Amino acid sequence: MKTVLRLCLLGLTAAVSLTAATLSELFNDRLKSVVAVEFFVQSETERQPVTVLGTVIDAQGTIIVPAAAILPNVAPDQLKDFRVYRPGSTEGSNAVYLGQDAFTGWHFFRVEEKLRAELVPITQYAPITAEPALSDELWGIGLRNKDEDFLPYFLSARVATVMKLPQKTAILGNEVAGPGLPVFDLSGRFAGLAQTSFGQNFLLFSHNQHGNPILLVNVEESSVVLLTDEILPHLGRVPNSVTGRPISWFGAYGLQPLDPEVAKLIKLENKSGVVISDIADGSPAAQAGLQERDIVLAIDGQPLPRLKPDRVVVGYFGQEVLRRTPGDVMTLSILRNGERQDVKVKLGDEPKLVREADRHYFERLGLTVREFLSSDGMMHRTKPGEKGGVVVNFVKPGSQLATAGLRPDDLVREIDGDEIATYAQALTKLQAIEADKNRPEFVLLVSRGGETSVLRIKLN
Amino acid sequence: MNRGFNRVLEAVVRIDVSEIEFEAGTKRLTGGTGSGVIISGDGLIVTNAHVASPEAVSITVTLASLEKVEAKLVGWDHWTDLAVIRLNMTEVNRRKLTFTVAEFGDSAALYPGQTVYAVGTPYGLERTVTRGIISNANRPFRDNQGVRGYETGLFNNWLQTDAAINPGNSGGPLVTEDGKVVGINARGYIGADNLGFAIPSSVVRTVSAGLVREGAITRSYLGFALKELQDLENFYTLAANNGVLVNDVDPGSPAARAGLRASDVVLTMNGRRLDGRFPEQLAPIQATIAGLPVGTKVVLEVKRGGQTVALTMLTEKLESRVGAEWAFEKWGLSVRQVTRAFARSNQLTSETGVVVIGVQPGYPADVAGLARGDIITKVGSAPILELEKLKQLYAAYEAKPEPQLIEAQRNRRISLYVIKP
Repeated sequence: MKTVLRLCLLGLTAAVSLTAATLSELFNDRLKSVVAVEFFVQSETERQPVTVLGTVIDAQGTIIVPAAAILPNVAPDQLKDFRVYRPGSTEGSNAVYLGQDAFTGWHFFRVEEKLRAELVPITQYAPITAEPALSDELWGIGLRNKDEDFLPYFLSARVATVMKLPQKTAILGNEVAGPGLPVFDLSGRFAGLAQTSFGQNFLLFSHNQHGNPILLVNVEESSVVLLTDEILPHLGRVPNSVTGRPISWFGAYGLQPLDPEVAKLIKLENKSGVVISDIADGSPAAQAGLQERDIVLAIDGQPLPRLKPDRVVVGYFGQEVLRRTPGDVMTLSILRNGERQDVKVKLGDEPKLVREADRHYFERLGLTVREFLSSDGMMHRTKPGEKGGVVVNFVKPGSQLATAGLRPDDLVREIDGDEIATYAQALTKLQAIEADKNRPEFVLLVSRGGETSVLRIKLN
Repeated sequence: MNRGFNRVLEAVVRIDVSEIEFEAGTKRLTGGTGSGVIISGDGLIVTNAHVASPEAVSITVTLASLEKVEAKLVGWDHWTDLAVIRLNMTEVNRRKLTFTVAEFGDSAALYPGQTVYAVGTPYGLERTVTRGIISNANRPFRDNQGVRGYETGLFNNWLQTDAAINPGNSGGPLVTEDGKVVGINARGYIGADNLGFAIPSSVVRTVSAGLVREGAITRSYLGFALKELQDLENFYTLAANNGVLVNDVDPGSPAARAGLRASDVVLTMNGRRLDGRFPEQLAPIQATIAGLPVGTKVVLEVKRGGQTVALTMLTEKLESRVGAEWAFEKWGLSVRQVTRAFARSNQLTSETGVVVIGVQPGYPADVAGLARGDIITKVGSAPILELEKLKQLYAAYEAKPEPQLIEAQRNRRISLYVIKP
């Protein structure tokens, strides 16, 4: 017994000293898996540079970056000139954008061949074998900005807690890596990917602020780490197309967690659930006969887990939809008017997203319109079959349209007194207006927040 | 100054109001100070609707003699921001108090540049007289939440003056040099220099008479918003000074049901030609509609593109956006009845329920998770269509406190909450 213990202690000492000696070597080696990705978001009048951090996942030079790297409404064709930089380098390599995976939220890029030899996929490193324990030390990599050649630096922190959000996520006591970059344990095993960091509450004191609460978000470093269990099984989800499709669709938008107190009162003590509302007409949820106020308690016989904060169960439900493919059938156990029943929902194809919508910029008018989508119908509370018009996507500041009061997200319902039923119709009308240099004015009927307004727009 | 002017000074009063506020889950008494002017020997005083409202618990009037007398609300009308209160005449007679009665002047005869005086209680400074001119005698100005969250200014244009008008001047008279009341001061642009607005005496006379007669002004409603046609005549191929543009139609309103659409041009109403070429002409048109008896048949001749159509509709009673308010103090919950206008402007699917306007931190409603803006639709299994229903359930709760299951909606999202004793 004593001998065994001594051996163990010896072994432990050896391991620690070995790790300590090689941590900087590990750091330099693991740098081969991390990159900075630079691109531009091209809008009508601006070209906005964006730099995000990514991790190499395979030998084909595939790189993943967190969901927040690209705003959801940015169309893929607005993303331009991708360059991938290794830490400490000034030379960028070309890359292409492969799209976003709806389930993980990751954006996928692929770097040109010549850089691939210098990269090592993160999968080359053995992953941790067990969930990190409280107080375990993890370390990771941060990268400086482009003007500092993306110089890498070392970060480390201890695990404060591990939570299901709904994915298994370690929260560390301090920032441990740049968001999107890998995190390792002391022996160099792959522990997870740093996520977009959480906000932290502070009180702000200054000459005119007396302890006002503010939320600070660190955009350069993060203390939130998605663990390998939630990463390795999904690295194969490289989108087939830049749209990230197929994306499965359920079609209820007002999902709310079942409050524990409510659960207790309606005799569902210690159970978790989501309350359904705001069901899109014609959606899979509607077709399955789901109704407002139905409470979903289980999916395919699996009770919904109790997660904290309460809201996380809604995220869990969303993930259960997205992990399936269109056409899959989900059996939901629901509570309706106090009675349990099973409802089969055949998931559909997510309707066209804003980033996929057809849009056109009229340069002389300083106006971008895009087609009306079913999500616009939800937002503007239009009834099915009601003509939507077209959606204003951009109004050039200072243009005649801006002066007349047109704003992004307005709906154009009529142009020059003619009702606009389709996007094509709007394009024809606006193209004619744009082309006619002698025209003094045109008139729009727009609607905003349920109220309409007639706008007269002077030209020239 | 002439005698008329001195006489009006003796008719101007200070008004201190304490009223119930249902803001953050409690019934709270708050105080405010305004001005008013005595318009009859039997103690009627005109002031602003935002000074004296039905929420007032006590109204104390300070006469020019500095004597204080209690008063009661006779009626209020937020659309014109006017209210009428009445002095406790038993008290006045018992204490042998005296006052003078102001005379109205003709607001229609005012001209820009004419000297006027504002009399009132700015910042509590009683009987302050400031001098200025009529800057504009016909200023359109409307505000959908201008009087304690209620709409105002839709049915009248305003007098604009550069006589200094500060908080507390509200409800006091705007007078000419001979002491005739030509307006009731109501508002100023905050942060601007001397841009004050007063309700013209022509409006004050009709509305105050109506308030004295019936306690409220009943108006007709068709449900469309107007816009001036200015410079759009060519586009609509119209002769100038012909018709008014429909900017918006309330869903479900009489106009909507009759088929009126935004961008229509209304040429005539019951055979009378309408002229809404300029913004100044819109309020009078709205006032014409509002002035019809409720249930009047209205035929609009409407130009839509190349054709002209006649649309027939019946007027409904005009309702305010803001519903009745109440606070359930043990829950720490303040609510307001959902009204048709509120439902329409917030694109709600239903015109019933009560909306949460405040919760008291740490009290059951707050602990349950209810927040401002939630619309309570159900308690237990009982649908809440009206505030009264919730009051009944609350009374039952007070008698026997038990956890209550609350269903509420926000942006069409349904959530369940539990209010626990």
